[in-house]
Amino acid sequence: MAIVELKKAKKSYGAVDIIHDVDLRIEDGEFAVFVGPSGCGKSTLLRMIAGLESVTAGEISIDGEGVNHVDPSERGVAMVFQSYALYPHMTVKENMSFGLRIGKRPKAEIDERVAVASRILQLDQLQDRRPSQLSGGQRQRVAIGRAIVRNPKVFLFDEPLSNLDAELRVATRVEIAKLHESLGNTMIYVTHDQTEAMTLADKIVVLRKGRVEQFGPPLELYENPDNVFVAGFIGSPKMNFFNGTVEKSGIVRVAGAEFPAPFSAKTSQPGSLVTIGIRPEHFDRDATPDATIDVLVDFVEHLGGTSFIHGRLADGERIIVERRDVGDLKSGKSIKAGFKMKDVRAFDAAGLRIR
Amino acid sequence: MTAIDTPLPGTSDRFPMIKIVSIAIITFVVVSPLFLLAVASLKPDRFQILAEMGSFKAFWVDNPTLQNYRDILTFSGNQPFARYLTNSMIVLVFTLAGGMAFNSMAAFVLAWGRIPGRAIILTAMIGLYIVPQESIVLSLLNIVNSVGLADSFSAQILPFWASPLYVFLLYQFFSQVPRDLYDAAIVDGASPFQIYWKVFMPISLPALATVAILLGIETWNQYLWPLLVTQSNYARPISVGIAGFFGADSIYWNLAMAASVMMMIPVLVLYLMFQKWFVSSVISSGVKG
Repeated sequence: MAIVELKKAKKSYGAVDIIHDVDLRIEDGEFAVFVGPSGCGKSTLLRMIAGLESVTAGEISIDGEGVNHVDPSERGVAMVFQSYALYPHMTVKENMSFGLRIGKRPKAEIDERVAVASRILQLDQLQDRRPSQLSGGQRQRVAIGRAIVRNPKVFLFDEPLSNLDAELRVATRVEIAKLHESLGNTMIYVTHDQTEAMTLADKIVVLRKGRVEQFGPPLELYENPDNVFVAGFIGSPKMNFFNGTVEKSGIVRVAGAEFPAPFSAKTSQPGSLVTIGIRPEHFDRDATPDATIDVLVDFVEHLGGTSFIHGRLADGERIIVERRDVGDLKSGKSIKAGFKMKDVRAFDAAGLRIR
Repeated sequence: MTAIDTPLPGTSDRFPMIKIVSIAIITFVVVSPLFLLAVASLKPDRFQILAEMGSFKAFWVDNPTLQNYRDILTFSGNQPFARYLTNSMIVLVFTLAGGMAFNSMAAFVLAWGRIPGRAIILTAMIGLYIVPQESIVLSLLNIVNSVGLADSFSAQILPFWASPLYVFLLYQFFSQVPRDLYDAAIVDGASPFQIYWKVFMPISLPALATVAILLGIETWNQYLWPLLVTQSNYARPISVGIAGFFGADSIYWNLAMAASVMMMIPVLVLYLMFQKWFVSSVISSGVKG
């Protein structure tokens, strides 16, 4: 149980800044997910919290105590790695108890803790196996078990599902969510997969190039992105973006279509360029749309329950429209995609949200 | 463990005879001197051995006897063979123990420690490996003499506790271990020594076995260095001891042959003990490239 707080945390390798002055507070018992594209610094940030990377400037505290100069094993954290990082020469039981044995805990306590963790993760039958005799999913459970056994204040997960196949990934994701529910510890989870972030997180932290772009509850980020990057990163398929021009006060023109501007007149001058964003799933949801836009269909992806129509606007900009029922829609046809103005997001030339 | 698959088209064994014949020739070239040695060691007459050398009779013994072995093991005068064998064993065991410890620790620190100028150290080590031992032997002898280690076991053991070749071999193996494994041990609270001893050493058995075999054979076969540093039978190893059978006026071929056979046995045992790992490390290092 612990609050994790970063104050102006910074990491540089020589002259290159990897993490720029990150300010962040993760509440007690919260499930925080760091998400962002490759190289955004999310893993580095996690490793800084773990103590595996030094902090160049600023401060990291866990449970109210500054930990910049505290050894990883003394921070009350346990980490689950993408590659599982199990000791190949040790059995499941030895892997899980390694940290406790290093810490010279009494044998009875070690056995008890390993037994409890094994029961939670259904590893009882596998105690004497070596990692090479386990499947990927079992290995990852052992890695999680090794973390549980340490009884940490904070769990750190570094892309723990990336090496699993699609089905197992979903199953393990659910297990991790249940684990958080039953243990109630603070958890910090790194992923590049926004679906994992949306489904697991109490708080999502979107990172880009070593900076926090936005953080908040998943739906808050989905509904109210602060900028084009967050809007595009959260949601799948990603939000459609169109170039628009403010025609006159309160009117925006996009690919020949005109509709009322989704922001107050004073935030944008007539003639200024804006980016208009509409999510694929927000088209054609209402029988009485506020506005429509013409789409020339390129091809249709049928997913069974739903379909994605990939097409182009009159000015050639790409668009994806989600529809539940597409009939026998073929490429080359033209459709009208309707939307509500409340679902439209607008961004200025610098990519920042205008409201 | 390895299943035998159907060969891919184009890779099948198209010339089995060429393969068999070439393997037979290579085997003959390698094995025949050893066989000749073993046969000669069973002949009691040293003049007969010399006379038959070079003819096919060298490969055959009419009345095999173990008399040569009995002679050298019971002989105690100028050529105390049992003493030499013991000396060699002592040198082997302590060189291996120290060599494995120091080379692996140095390799671990080079691979995972925060060492300024690591690249320079590695380059210097490879450079040192090129220097032949013979070229530094005189200065090494000076050092050994000046610290009072002449004619001792230490003089034969200490200089071989660190070797650029073995440090580099183990360094390469250690540095291929995934970073996550090291980090996991750190988070688990292991000290650098515990990481080295409890994680890296156990998972490096193939590499360690390779180094143990190479270092063991090298130590056992040392000749020039022990010849220079030992002046008496006190610490003289078997490699130098055998040379004593080749006296100035008479050469005891029969005893030298038997001694040579006995000298090979410990190395053979060492190899057979570690062979499984030795072979697997050669294979896996091949796969990893």
